[in-house]
Amino acid sequence: MTRETMSYDAIVVGSGISGGWAAKELCERGLRTLVLEAGGPIDARDFVEHVQPYEMPFRGRGDRKALERDHPIQRECYACDEVAHKFFVNDNENPYTTPNEAPFRWFRGRQVGGRSITWNRQVYRWSDLDFEANAKDGHGNDWPIRYADIAPWYTYVERFIGVTGAKEGLAQLPDGDFLPPMAMTIVEHHAREKLRTAFGGERVMTIGRAAVLTTNHNGRLACHYCGPCHRGCVTHSYFNSIGSTLPAARNTGKLTLRPHSVVAEVLYDPARDRARGVRIIDARTLQEMEFEARIVFLCASAIESTRILLNSRSTRFPDGLGNSSGTLGRYLMDHHYGSGAHGTMPGFADKRTVGHRPNGTYIARFRNVKSQRADFLRGYGMHGRSGRVGWERGASLPGYGTSFKQSLIHDLGEWNLAVEGWGETLPHENNRVTLDPDVKDKWGIPAARIDVRWRDNERAMDKDMAASAAEMLEAAGCKDVHAYVSTHPPGHCVHEMGGARMSRTPKDGVLNGRNQAWDAKNLFITDGACMASSACQNPSITYMALTARAAAHAVAEMKRGEL
Amino acid sequence: MSPSAASTWRWGALVQRRDFLLAAGAVAALSFVPGVAQDAWNRVATTYPPAGGLSEAHLALVSAISDAIIPRTDTPGATDVGVPAWINVVVAGYYTDSQRAAFLDGLAAIDALAQGTAGAPFAAMSSDRRERVMSILDRPNAFERFVLRLENSHMAARIVSRSAIERMLAGLAQEARAYAWLKGLVVHGYFTSERVQKEVLRTVIIPGSFDGAAPMPLGYLRRGV
Repeated sequence: MTRETMSYDAIVVGSGISGGWAAKELCERGLRTLVLEAGGPIDARDFVEHVQPYEMPFRGRGDRKALERDHPIQRECYACDEVAHKFFVNDNENPYTTPNEAPFRWFRGRQVGGRSITWNRQVYRWSDLDFEANAKDGHGNDWPIRYADIAPWYTYVERFIGVTGAKEGLAQLPDGDFLPPMAMTIVEHHAREKLRTAFGGERVMTIGRAAVLTTNHNGRLACHYCGPCHRGCVTHSYFNSIGSTLPAARNTGKLTLRPHSVVAEVLYDPARDRARGVRIIDARTLQEMEFEARIVFLCASAIESTRILLNSRSTRFPDGLGNSSGTLGRYLMDHHYGSGAHGTMPGFADKRTVGHRPNGTYIARFRNVKSQRADFLRGYGMHGRSGRVGWERGASLPGYGTSFKQSLIHDLGEWNLAVEGWGETLPHENNRVTLDPDVKDKWGIPAARIDVRWRDNERAMDKDMAASAAEMLEAAGCKDVHAYVSTHPPGHCVHEMGGARMSRTPKDGVLNGRNQAWDAKNLFITDGACMASSACQNPSITYMALTARAAAHAVAEMKRGEL
Repeated sequence: MSPSAASTWRWGALVQRRDFLLAAGAVAALSFVPGVAQDAWNRVATTYPPAGGLSEAHLALVSAISDAIIPRTDTPGATDVGVPAWINVVVAGYYTDSQRAAFLDGLAAIDALAQGTAGAPFAAMSSDRRERVMSILDRPNAFERFVLRLENSHMAARIVSRSAIERMLAGLAQEARAYAWLKGLVVHGYFTSERVQKEVLRTVIIPGSFDGAAPMPLGYLRRGV
């Protein structure tokens, strides 16, 4: 064991979406900050978005044998492709367990930047419809915060990262501080108008709100529309931490970034009733080390941060630091998603798309907004996409020979339109993560044991997603409409959240309304673990806003001598 | 195959963009050939033909069917752009043992069908006779078309599990299944080849903008870089 003699003002565990924000805010507020990242460093030369299909042996289908060997779970994520698999963990080194009857997909990236490299970049504000939901229907605990608490922080984050979107004036999906919207396709324009008239203005299809630049912004270049953002971006045109928050932190001169640092536990000092620092294992040398700081931010991702806390056992906290309430690890959620419909849109044969828009459309939540349905609580938003398939339709198109070939070259096929739901999952105490008593990862840290199941409310909502999607596509004028209910297990949406929820009182949760642990007030958890409900919106911007808010609060308390 | 030789072509559109020129650092990074892709290619290129791949006879059959699906016209045909060699890489390096066995059995069944219908192995027959065999092979029923669409779609997993697709594929006749796979590979291999991407589709890697209502049809083929 090596104890680092130099101590820091702050330690941040994780360097992804939340950790990057913690680093930036704490450094800019003058704190000497150590960021610990479990994975290795990367830079723009590791990005592979411009690799063409003919530069890949399997032409984009992936090296199946290698993926099955090293990424048997990760490969199920669409972004773990033939070249971007390097941004995903090796499943053999990073095991987790589930009950046989309750599969869970845990897609992870361990590298500087974390999953901010591969994320899908969709960002939507929550509203009070979301923050009040637990209190109103009694599932989960009441959030200690409301929209007014976070709204200015959403704006703060949006201005820094750059968010493209269109204002719609919807109470349930508040507008943000947007860069110019990306263009809708001609078919999406058509569908938007049809839906507006068919559903009395209740169902609004808007262009996706994404952390992708449509103009040069804060020293980063506008998007060049090459397409596969999950492989990285040499121009840093979409938000990831290595292109924006971490450089901002570095510019202060206060940042120390230590890659290959696998955090095993948060150390607790019973004499001061505070977190003392963290114990890590160097990923390469397997050497144990300790680092100390006045405050600790856990931003390792919902399940990782929860796992670290469960593993932080002491005489005072035998069941894990932060677990005085017994809620640590419980109320884990993900979005149940992918149920919807697709169809073809007749006409528009004289139009096509040019450029690869890294963004789709979004239909704001319309269920249980003004009135309450009998079949399920809460609601869902719907992501959509449209386009013409082009030559790829040839594999299932009858025909061969010259005319077949010419049609694949000169025609693009029909326009397709699809919409799919992303649904809120009710917080449930038995959806939980614990430590597996037997399995350990490569570094000897107990593996997470995850037991999350879809329940009746999610299943009822899935059916409605498929039905409402089909109804909307038909209203938009689509033909060959095919509705489907998703079979994805929990975790597949990569929106896992909860496990160390915020609460109004110490007996109801792990964190107060400022992401501060009830058990140790200098310990903050600001990633997805803090969520008391899931809403239906893509969650990352909410983590960013809560992280920035918590950092400001932490530094203010430090300056008042309270930490 | 030479990714680096392509770099002048690839960034032709880009250097006209003032924004990109201003970002000299970004341009330098753009011309970088990613090591991961290059390494993988070197591995494949130095081990071709791959161990466990197609025999000469199988390759002759695959080549003949590839060109029957995508013949040479005013643009290259399937064998002109190396489609059979890529299919060989897939059969040897991508398929599972059972997929490879099913594919090879299917190729034998296709040749048996050719013998029965037109009296010769497919690769050895005249183009008229090939036409007769192709017209039998390429008439998928609705079920086969559905299975094909699932088999060749990345999005299929949202609707049906992989094992369900495998079960459906297993329900197809041997020659129909092999032809379905082969056709998917020929189309994919052809249109993702370097020559077709550059000379036929004229793919613009850095479009620089997005237009959701651009005109058809001229632009699709003739849009200069």
